[in-house]
Amino acid sequence: MPKLIIDDIPVEVPPGTSVLEAARSVGITIPHFCYHPALAIAAACRLCAVKLLDGPVKGIQMSCSLPAQDGMVVSTQDPEALKLRALVIEWLMMNHPHDCPVCDEGGECLLQDFTIAGGHGRRRYQGKKRTFMNQYLGEGISHEMNRCIECYRCVRFYQDYAGGTDFGVTGSAGRVYFGRFEEGPLESPFSGNLVDICPTGVFTDKTGRFRARYWDYEFAPSVCQHCSVGCNTSPQNFQREVIKIVARRNDQVNGWFICDRGRFDKGSLNDPQRPRDPMVDGTVCSFDEAIEAAARRIFEFVREHGAGSLAFVGSPRMSLEGGILLAELARLTGGSQLCYFTDQSNQEGSLAAARLLNEQNAACLRDLESATCIVILSCDLMEEGAMLALSVRKAFLAGAQIFVVGAVAATSHQEIPFKYTAVASLDDVPPNGGSGKIFICGSGNRDPELLAQVASSGAKLVMLQPGPNGLGVGLLALERKTTSLSELAAAGKVKGIVCFEADVPQSTLGGIPVLVCADWRNGETVRNGTVFLPTTPWLESDGTAINYEGRAQRFRSTKRPGLPLKGLDPKYYGSAQEASRLHPPRVHRQEVPGGAEQDVWRVMAGLIERLGGEQIVDPLLGKWGRLKDLDPEGEGVRVLDWAKT
Amino acid sequence: MIPEALKTSLETRVAEAITPREAAVDVMKELQAHYGWLTDEAVVEAAGLLGLSPLQVEELATFYEMIYRRPVGRKVIHVCDSISCWCADCQGIITHLKERLGVGLGGTSADGMFTLIPCCCMGMCGDGPAMSVDGTPYGRLTPELVDEILELERQKA
Repeated sequence: MPKLIIDDIPVEVPPGTSVLEAARSVGITIPHFCYHPALAIAAACRLCAVKLLDGPVKGIQMSCSLPAQDGMVVSTQDPEALKLRALVIEWLMMNHPHDCPVCDEGGECLLQDFTIAGGHGRRRYQGKKRTFMNQYLGEGISHEMNRCIECYRCVRFYQDYAGGTDFGVTGSAGRVYFGRFEEGPLESPFSGNLVDICPTGVFTDKTGRFRARYWDYEFAPSVCQHCSVGCNTSPQNFQREVIKIVARRNDQVNGWFICDRGRFDKGSLNDPQRPRDPMVDGTVCSFDEAIEAAARRIFEFVREHGAGSLAFVGSPRMSLEGGILLAELARLTGGSQLCYFTDQSNQEGSLAAARLLNEQNAACLRDLESATCIVILSCDLMEEGAMLALSVRKAFLAGAQIFVVGAVAATSHQEIPFKYTAVASLDDVPPNGGSGKIFICGSGNRDPELLAQVASSGAKLVMLQPGPNGLGVGLLALERKTTSLSELAAAGKVKGIVCFEADVPQSTLGGIPVLVCADWRNGETVRNGTVFLPTTPWLESDGTAINYEGRAQRFRSTKRPGLPLKGLDPKYYGSAQEASRLHPPRVHRQEVPGGAEQDVWRVMAGLIERLGGEQIVDPLLGKWGRLKDLDPEGEGVRVLDWAKT
Repeated sequence: MIPEALKTSLETRVAEAITPREAAVDVMKELQAHYGWLTDEAVVEAAGLLGLSPLQVEELATFYEMIYRRPVGRKVIHVCDSISCWCADCQGIITHLKERLGVGLGGTSADGMFTLIPCCCMGMCGDGPAMSVDGTPYGRLTPELVDEILELERQKA
């Protein structure tokens, strides 16, 4: 373990640590642009200069590419180092346009910060700046090459890390250009990370440009709920609208990055058509009235048809809190049916994962990256857990063999960022591997026997789920031995259903009436419900989700629920009773337009109370109480070794 | 479209390389010799032969100054403007070349004979100022010598 001294502070770091990281470990930030912990070292920007006063090397050195060694005495504040850094900044700023006021990066720009920090405030260079033509890079990312400072972060991420081939660096010397061969949408499903990784405004998020500055945003730690990987995100909201979603670091789940779906797919969240008003028989009412009506109808249904013919239906996109209270609801009505899955094969796949996985055999990200053999089994990886593809790529680059069983991979629209051997069946995969072997099964593969066979081989497992909290509700379903709605319906056991964030297709529903529906998405079930209770999507909820590897993660509500201010229907300018004819509105209202929604578990808690149950303050009942203090900014907690007892 | 014979020979060249990427310069030079410059079509063809994306070929093509991504004259003059030649007054030579050819840097003379491109060192620092015309190196240039060389190269063509 090398021991060195940085700014008079003794530091001991593992061998191979750079001086930059060693300094960071004791709270000293050395300015840098091109260095990124997830990427290979480029030493291109020359900003992280420090002076070595004593030890094996002396003088000005680049701290990002200098491994810490015994006996080094490093000064980050030496006048010579400070001077060099100030000159580097001035030099990087030579061609940079002074367009911060109209740049979407302004306020969250590393170049801006370090220019100010470096004391460069007055331009000395009087010559012409070099300029470039920008390219159209698709609907996600806007390109402004004039702002580039040639740190090479984008190309190192795009080609080296994410395996893209259609974006790179051309030219040399003063003509270095980062772009495509010809204009067109970026092909990599991870291209959105260019926005996060660019230290200045070359790549900005086209879906949320020019809406607000960094300091305007409402922020909170969130967890992406598009698939069961559970990447950590930081949604940036402004005036009740999700403007941008950026990656949040979690080394155990997603590292530094997220996929484009997680970043750009936010239309449904901002959708003005999203059902936001509580309704009874198609008429808008207050939330209390709707809850009252829902409780009354459930009560009357149970009295008439018996508790057994009523089904409470949840789904894998529901939070753990919702899942727990759904069981309470079913219990409270005197033994109603409880369904966490609409589809039987979804249920089988999820239950098999809940049964088979344990703390030892559930592969996490680190396991994937260090695997020697990865078998992808009936799984459209880019669709069901795109971020895992980057980990598989890491293993591939380190020499792991990758097999894809079956033809399912071909259905993906996205190119897979690693080379693999396609085989027809599991028998064609060489039986060796042992501890370094990992199977990735999609939620599409519902054959529990095959899953059991794979699990018994001693290899580690990744079992992707049909929804973001698939394993969470899978564990609940396993514990309560639930049946899927499709099976119950087919057996004719159900005469009425109560849906919570569940998408029940008309074919399953048949003629069964939906008494109550609670959801935030606009679906068929919503239109079928006689009582509708609007819930909040994950961005507006406090909750917990358990990802594919059994890691419970807490997400916080990142914004108040309600209709986005932009494009707000003028009917809201007036009071609830009377529309305003004139602008500006002169009527005061206390409620947020469209802001009646509640977290799904709160809706359930309300129903439970109306149905005569206890008031529920904390939905994490029983053993799940362990998760009460789960830190949303932590790495999450793996639950498999105690959640099944 | 490149002739089948050229395609076959290039495929052989790529197959002999340990990694296809290392054959990229050879392939680009051959295609350039065929087309006169490395056309967009040639970049796509090179990518096909090398198993790279067109962008990845473009990355290499635009890095090397002797791969021409725009049309050039029959002979390309690379005149060094790097430090040793600069000390030996290459600026005077470049000015003279511009006047004689009636073009700026990067331009092609009206008769389509010469394209003038600056380059960064040809390893002839001891003989600066230096230039190369159609691959032939010339050192210790003076305006008079430049005139002679241009005439000579014009006749050779």
